Amino acid sequence: MAKDYALFLGCIAPNRYPGCESAGISCSKKVGINLHPLKGASCCPAPGAFGSIDLNVFMAMAARNIVLAEKMGMDIALECNGCYKSIWEVNHKLKHNDDLRDAVNEVLKTVKDPSDPSGKSDMEFKGTIDVWHLIELYYDPKVCGVEKIRDSVTRPLTGTRIGVHYGCHLLKPKKERHFGDTENPMWIEELVAALGAEPVQYRKKMQCCGAGGGVRGYDLVHSLDITNEKMINLHEAKVDAVTEVCPFCQLEFDRGQIEIQEKFGKFWGLPVLHYNELLGLAQGMSPTDLALDLHAVPVDPFLKKIL
Amino acid sequence: MARTKGYPDPKLETKLRDRYLYRTDSNPDFSKKVKDLSRTVSHMCFQCGTCTGSCPSAPRSSYRIRLFMRRNVLGLEEESLTDPDLWLCTTCYSCTDRCPRDIAPTDVIMSMRNFAYQRGIVPVNFLKTVQAIYQSGHGVPNNDVNRAARVRLGLAKDPPTTHSHPEYLPGIRQILDHYKVKAQADKIVAESEKKGA
Repeated sequence: MAKDYALFLGCIAPNRYPGCESAGISCSKKVGINLHPLKGASCCPAPGAFGSIDLNVFMAMAARNIVLAEKMGMDIALECNGCYKSIWEVNHKLKHNDDLRDAVNEVLKTVKDPSDPSGKSDMEFKGTIDVWHLIELYYDPKVCGVEKIRDSVTRPLTGTRIGVHYGCHLLKPKKERHFGDTENPMWIEELVAALGAEPVQYRKKMQCCGAGGGVRGYDLVHSLDITNEKMINLHEAKVDAVTEVCPFCQLEFDRGQIEIQEKFGKFWGLPVLHYNELLGLAQGMSPTDLALDLHAVPVDPFLKKIL
Repeated sequence: MARTKGYPDPKLETKLRDRYLYRTDSNPDFSKKVKDLSRTVSHMCFQCGTCTGSCPSAPRSSYRIRLFMRRNVLGLEEESLTDPDLWLCTTCYSCTDRCPRDIAPTDVIMSMRNFAYQRGIVPVNFLKTVQAIYQSGHGVPNNDVNRAARVRLGLAKDPPTTHSHPEYLPGIRQILDHYKVKAQADKIVAESEKKGA
């Protein structure tokens, strides 16, 4: 039976890589996940930038987004690790800490809900919903599961080698999350294998992409050096593409490669694809349907192998 | 710990003096403030260095998370908040996952950044994100190239977020104004631009 979720978009997916958004909506529909737009959502807000400045305003802003979904009566599904950190974590913290919830509701009390015609402000965090990353819904047999993903494939990505970048804020810190091992998890590899591709292990798989915590904006070269280390390790493993589940990691890997060329004089040319885009290709969507031309690093070498 | 014990015999005073390392700039309240905001047992650090060993920023900079953990225990507020390395943490949480004392060093850094911000010490890129969200609700707003691509994909020109529903923006501004972050951000950005000019 199909399940319904409120789709929390975030910023980078809809505003830089719209293919992630359109593929997310149409691919998940084929495996029994219906995504409904979360009207009036904002930035999650960016956990690095906002969390660094004021953790209270970070929580209040995230809570506002959660309340919008509570009013729809649907769990939130999202497709970005940064959003997962904000939305999932704040939802979790506010559910379990009365003092934090009271402080947030004190502020939300003053916020009016424009969809409420009576003008009565009712933006109270109640803690009635859960938050999920789309990738965990894909993997969860109760919702979708690897089998269903495999059955939905019409154009298997046979013969391609793909490195998986998990990103940080989906799995870590593991004491707060529910994914278990964070040193060498293998479950996204299972989902990649279900598409017919060969998931490849590489050195320092769990290393950060380099973008988080505001470092990309604060010290670009420092951030790119971390990215470059990932590129070296991926290149060593002879992958055809790297896949991730976070548009911010995607931005860092994709546009970062152009910046690495400018700053360090080395061009890797490694195609970067969000898992949604990969799933879209495997389900037969065309590269133009996925706006792959918006990628800074051409995806063509990878496409040649599968089209 | 008293620095002098007030014994009448100066010889004994010298012999029995407290030999702990004293720093005049130590502020015990700082450690407590960090602990309260970060909600982690930050005072439990025994300096094993697993955090620095796990850190992706450490090999390419002078940023040492273990040093910040020590500064926290010693209450070295000034040294912590004015160190530019404070802003090199990518918040990857590797240190938090591996800490044998169950501390979250990442959250310690985050709360130190909060206190630095309160004193006006913060890189402007963090504040520009605040200004962007105040303006449009998004940290990374839409642009024309992307709008054209969205239309091609059969999506709405602007996503169904605050971009299509600006009536939700006053609520967001209300939250940001409540904590006075927009005013503080504008002030610091203006100051830094004046300095740069």
